[in-house]
Amino acid sequence: MSKPKVSSDWLAGCAGCHMSLLDMDERILQVLELAELRSTPITDFKEPDASGVDVGVLEGGISNTYNEEVAHKMRSRCKTLVALGDCAVFGGIPAMRNFFTIEEALRRAYIETPSTDESGKIPSDPELAVPTKVRALSEVVPVDIFVPGCPPDADVIFYVLSELAQGRKPELKDELLHWH
Amino acid sequence: MVNITIDGKQVSVPEGTTVLRAAENAGVVIPTLCDHKELAPYGGCRLCLVEVEGARTLQPSCTLPVNPNMVVHTATEKVKEARKFVLSLIFSERNHFCMFCQVSGGDCELQNSAYAEGMTHWPLQPNYSPFTVDASNPYFVIDNNRCILCRRCVRACGELVGNFTLGIEERGANSYLVADLGGPIGESTCVSCGTCVQVCPTGAIIDRQSAYNGREKDTTKVKTICTRCSIGCGMEVLTRDNRVVRIEGDWDASINHGLLCSTGRFEPLINDKERIPTSLVAGANGQKASTLDTAVKEIASLIQTAQPAAALITDNASLEEISLFSQLFVGNSKVKAGVLGGNGFLQMHESVRSISGSSLSDVTGCDVVIVVGADLSTDHQVAGFLVKRQLPTGTKLIMLSDPKNVFSANADLVLDTSKGFESALKGLLNGIKDNTAAAARLLSTAKTVGIIVGETVESDDLSKISGLIKDLTEALKSSGKATHVLSLKGGANGSALSQFGLNHSLDLNGVKTVILFQGEDTVDQKMVQKLSSIPNLVVIGTYNSTLAARAKVVIPATTWWETSGTFINIENNLQTSNRITQPTDDINSMQDILSVIGKQLGKGLNSDWQKTLGSTTGRS
Repeated sequence: MSKPKVSSDWLAGCAGCHMSLLDMDERILQVLELAELRSTPITDFKEPDASGVDVGVLEGGISNTYNEEVAHKMRSRCKTLVALGDCAVFGGIPAMRNFFTIEEALRRAYIETPSTDESGKIPSDPELAVPTKVRALSEVVPVDIFVPGCPPDADVIFYVLSELAQGRKPELKDELLHWH
Repeated sequence: MVNITIDGKQVSVPEGTTVLRAAENAGVVIPTLCDHKELAPYGGCRLCLVEVEGARTLQPSCTLPVNPNMVVHTATEKVKEARKFVLSLIFSERNHFCMFCQVSGGDCELQNSAYAEGMTHWPLQPNYSPFTVDASNPYFVIDNNRCILCRRCVRACGELVGNFTLGIEERGANSYLVADLGGPIGESTCVSCGTCVQVCPTGAIIDRQSAYNGREKDTTKVKTICTRCSIGCGMEVLTRDNRVVRIEGDWDASINHGLLCSTGRFEPLINDKERIPTSLVAGANGQKASTLDTAVKEIASLIQTAQPAAALITDNASLEEISLFSQLFVGNSKVKAGVLGGNGFLQMHESVRSISGSSLSDVTGCDVVIVVGADLSTDHQVAGFLVKRQLPTGTKLIMLSDPKNVFSANADLVLDTSKGFESALKGLLNGIKDNTAAAARLLSTAKTVGIIVGETVESDDLSKISGLIKDLTEALKSSGKATHVLSLKGGANGSALSQFGLNHSLDLNGVKTVILFQGEDTVDQKMVQKLSSIPNLVVIGTYNSTLAARAKVVIPATTWWETSGTFINIENNLQTSNRITQPTDDINSMQDILSVIGKQLGKGLNSDWQKTLGSTTGRS
């Protein structure tokens, strides 16, 4: 039997969850013995195999139409979808902007920040993704495994990946359950 | 007694007990949020839902009284599902993103509840309605976005403190916490006692000083007492790395029942006062740093050369310190001994205390409370809270006070003292005897009366006041009313000073040297004025002051949390104040400094205060 294939990607997050994944240090070799790592944002392949993968891991919330597209593609190509980290699970830090309108958030980011000079303007290129209300991953696609944490500890990620690679469903509780 | 079964365990509890308390007795844990052991059951959060055999729906265990032969299940699938649903509703209502919350990681009861149910996510997403953040109070911040509307703070403010400042505005999901009729809490009737901060289960009310200074599990908790006034409130001090992080009221303390005032809870953490770091001795070119030994030698030489000399001690000193002080200076032919700010009040206190040995709860729990010369809104505030929280139950308050007394606003009757306390007390006494005065009407149905005597009582002869208080007590007792009397006795250890015979102020006219055992106290302007003509001043104190700046010798002393000591509280009980943190090397307790002075003066000192109490005052 071939090793289960794992793909990952990041959406509206800070990449911290992927950093925490790398923080498992040499234990990543144990994971690689059990699973085959396909596309990730920190390796060469950028999209999950069209033929499908066993486990899809997504970090970050859904903040625009591009995130939606990536989420739908991952969902359609993986058997088990993991929401990794508080942004993917709950919406997280990016969801703070939901307390304002998108117009207010864009004006703040591109015009009003102290580091923006007077020529600051909100980008309006039609090729750009359209910002939306920030949502948890589960509001856009069905999620199988929720791994909260900001970021989830390397131990938690190691536990989740090694369980999935061995065909078991990880159960987060007690010491492994932290939202931070 | 009622017998019920909870999760298969038989438990027998008194009638009227709630299912939640019965479960606690049986050792069954039911998760709660709005429940608090010091507050009346409320039934607001629904987390404590349980299944009762025969009941149509799940029942909130916190408000459900036990019924005979009731069978309760607390951990069925139906109950667990309901808990998760309740938590989902709470999480979805506001901003409960843990990653940017101060209490996340162990200190949040909401988060802990979700962990206990094994929740990895919220089935419902938040609705993102922004609420106000009120940062107008100097000690704490109210963030309505973190509020779960459990109303613990509102209930604590009313039920425990009797202040009724906090309330809820609007309805349903739009509800939010307000002070008075709205407006910033910093400009409200809030007295900053911080009880709301202590009971808040989430990050909705956070203490500015302890915020982001570590979670409770990173701190060490030490129980001690507050030595800022004579009540001696029980408190729990949280420390981390030899630093005080937070102060909380001790719910188990019988005198204050967990309440503290801002002076006890928040003020010690405000670092706005400059510590005296090392001993100083004044020379030709001003004050120079010195060792403790050099400073003490200088004191000894001042006592020898600059006569007459006097030594004054603060009424917040510990028994150990007062004992050493009295051994050194009471009956000393070269140094007169007295109390810093002593005004004869302590003598009156002793005679009032001898009228009846009452506890604070005896006095505040009466049908009528008479307060003679005390503003409980500024001094002895916790006593004020305990009086105020009784008022909604029908307790009547009679104040003998001057018009400036803010606490009079709570009174049913204010007796004017502009013609002196003596005449006001006589008026009250005659009114009760003739059954004519307004006070007599308030007292007519009372079965119990509490009398609190404060230190703002003014009279040329305070012994007359204590005599009148005694007459008043007798008059009330003879009309069949159980009467309790309590004196507020000034500083933390006023009683101890009296017992060592140190209850009088000193005449400082012509005195050349004054040794001031000031400790942490501030000296009032009257005393500063009195001391301004003293050529040689010695200050043994914690903080820099104008007095220390012009002193010939300055010795730094510890704060109350850097040393331990024994105190006699308002109820005449011995209490121990524990050392919480270590001071820096050059800072010693007044107790240690007094020992060094004793050695220098060649006087053998007994460190056991209990033995010295008899020898210096003739009392046993």
